[in-house]
Amino acid sequence: MSGHAWILYFALGCVGCSVPDPKLKQYLVEGERLYLQHCSNCHQPDGGGLRRVYPPIAGSDYLDANFKRVICGMKYGMEGEIKVNGVMYNQAMPGVISLTELELAELATYICDKWAKPRGVIEVKDIRPFLDSCARPRPRR
Amino acid sequence: MKAMRSGWVSALCSLVVLTLGMCVDKDPSLPFLGPREVSGGDTLYHTIAPFSFVDQDSLVVTNADFDGRIYVADFFFTSCRTICPVMKTQMLRVYEATKGMTDFLILSHSIDPEWDTVALLHEFAERLGVESKRWHFVTGEKDSIYKIAQTSYFATAMEDKTEPDGFIHSGAFLLVDRGGRIRGKYDGTRKEDVDRLIDDIKRLRRE
Repeated sequence: MSGHAWILYFALGCVGCSVPDPKLKQYLVEGERLYLQHCSNCHQPDGGGLRRVYPPIAGSDYLDANFKRVICGMKYGMEGEIKVNGVMYNQAMPGVISLTELELAELATYICDKWAKPRGVIEVKDIRPFLDSCARPRPRR
Repeated sequence: MKAMRSGWVSALCSLVVLTLGMCVDKDPSLPFLGPREVSGGDTLYHTIAPFSFVDQDSLVVTNADFDGRIYVADFFFTSCRTICPVMKTQMLRVYEATKGMTDFLILSHSIDPEWDTVALLHEFAERLGVESKRWHFVTGEKDSIYKIAQTSYFATAMEDKTEPDGFIHSGAFLLVDRGGRIRGKYDGTRKEDVDRLIDDIKRLRRE
């Protein structure tokens, strides 16, 4: 194949298929790693939750409707009753206070892309206002 | 003729293999864990010490409730975010696999008994969707629970403020026979170990 043909080949290839955004790909890989490290014990590796103890993330109407609160919850924890897909849950979720804004963005990108309304890359700069606005629950003990 | 001879040889070989196979015990009995004493001609195996705890229905649970039954014990607490949720996921597999076995029970001890009240354990069990008569979640004196964990079940359970959840504990599942003797120890966070436990429960029931 001549040099021109190669260029044509790539040009067509890029138009014909959606090339995965390398940044999105990176966020998904990191997000999955963080999910398996911090979340999957309770929410399960498949995001399905555990009976009525831990709510599902996969297909969760709560995640779509309370996106900001979920981001805050990842870092600062959540408590009290919540309703997910019509089922009431009431198990306190400890926050992972060490999560950075980048890590929260990666985690949020991952769970939305995999199990909820895909929002593309959730930018680090969007995380800060969420964190500033959310209530930080008192530690349990 | 040659074919016939080789037929005989292979038949003979199969017979030998079959006989040998019958000699090898395919289902050896499970070991007895823990120290043992020999008194006279008898071997006394380690047994679970007397205990008395309260379960999710406020009922007092003692050794007598497990007498003549096989059970699996573990140590956990409801607010734990590290290994307990994985252990509970795996214990649910044991629960489902033993449906209909009236001689089998599960005993989960809370190692955070001050937080895990009867009401909280009741709610936890209900949310897990399990029956109290098959799966007891117990709370009690913290010292008694830690002591029985260490000395009867050889499972680690203690408070440690430096840990993320404030406790260190092993994720072990202990299989106890009808006579209160430990017959197996499994890692309750590993699916393969729990597969083995489910097999061992069936073997123990045949003893």
